[in-house]
Amino acid sequence: MTAQIGLSVLLALVLLYAGNERRRSPVVAWLSIVAALAGLYCTWVPEHATSLAHWAGIGRGVDLVLYIWVCITLIVLLNLHLKLRTQMELVTELARTIALAEARAQPMRKPERRRISRRAG
Amino acid sequence: MADGMRIWVVIAAYNEASVIARVVGEVARRGYHVVVVDDGSSDGTADRAAAAAAVVRHPVNLGQGAALQTGIDYALQQGAGVVVTFDADGQHRAADIERLVAALREAPADFALGSRFLGSTVALSTARRLLLRAATVFTQVTTGLRLTDTHNGLRAMTRRGAEKIRLRQNRMAHASEILAQIAASGLPYAEVPVRIEYTAYSLAKGQRLGDALAILFDLFARRLYR
Repeated sequence: MTAQIGLSVLLALVLLYAGNERRRSPVVAWLSIVAALAGLYCTWVPEHATSLAHWAGIGRGVDLVLYIWVCITLIVLLNLHLKLRTQMELVTELARTIALAEARAQPMRKPERRRISRRAG
Repeated sequence: MADGMRIWVVIAAYNEASVIARVVGEVARRGYHVVVVDDGSSDGTADRAAAAAAVVRHPVNLGQGAALQTGIDYALQQGAGVVVTFDADGQHRAADIERLVAALREAPADFALGSRFLGSTVALSTARRLLLRAATVFTQVTTGLRLTDTHNGLRAMTRRGAEKIRLRQNRMAHASEILAQIAASGLPYAEVPVRIEYTAYSLAKGQRLGDALAILFDLFARRLYR
């Protein structure tokens, strides 16, 4: 029972996390929600978890719960990767703004052909 | 369409000091405005380019896609009527720019995309040819664009077209992203035969099979968040 409560608390935290992420990355959020709900179901109805595990060819219900937990970990890792990408986009915008502002401060260069023709003329 | 318009050539460069002066010189001699976006180089690329081009310097290395977007933004700020993207490694010919710009006017189109398979290549290996063909099929399936060469960095776009492009793929996946944005814009496009001349230098800097997998992952990941 203690393990079931501990796991349920963790899965509930995953659900909260998924709810927070729903706007920014809906795909990740829905994957997390599905995995967490499946985890909760398997935790509290272990006999179903065992039948489901047998059906999936896993063996024991507890292994199925473990696999679901691994899936959730991978999904959260993917979400972290996506967050890093978002941060990188912000860094890019910042770097671009700085680069363009510095370039604006430089004098404009004329195309070379015009300089050549002026010399010729 | 491009008559009397200011043509800006955008060259994204990262550690290209050994070739950038020659590449920029060849483009600038044809009378085009050139902007080199130095993507955080550490080998003096910006100084070499500055002899014949405007230089925009990224404070850190961000990737070719990010550099191209910076160059496009700069060109638009300078009042460009036509924006051309051109590789820094010397594989493109400056003479082809005129053909791309002519295609914008004659098609008429808002995007003119270079095709090495309608034109010609020098020293293209079989493995690279197969990789490019696979990329072409992938792009045709995902964007619906009927193109023969989807990863060619030589492109021209009208101001209206350039304003529709907003690259968020910093690295090499930008080549697929730009085509997706062209398709989404609904603006007319045309393909133009160009010549690609691979050298040992450009091949060393080019993409490999592992890069293709990274590109696919980048394109997939980009669809997962807003």
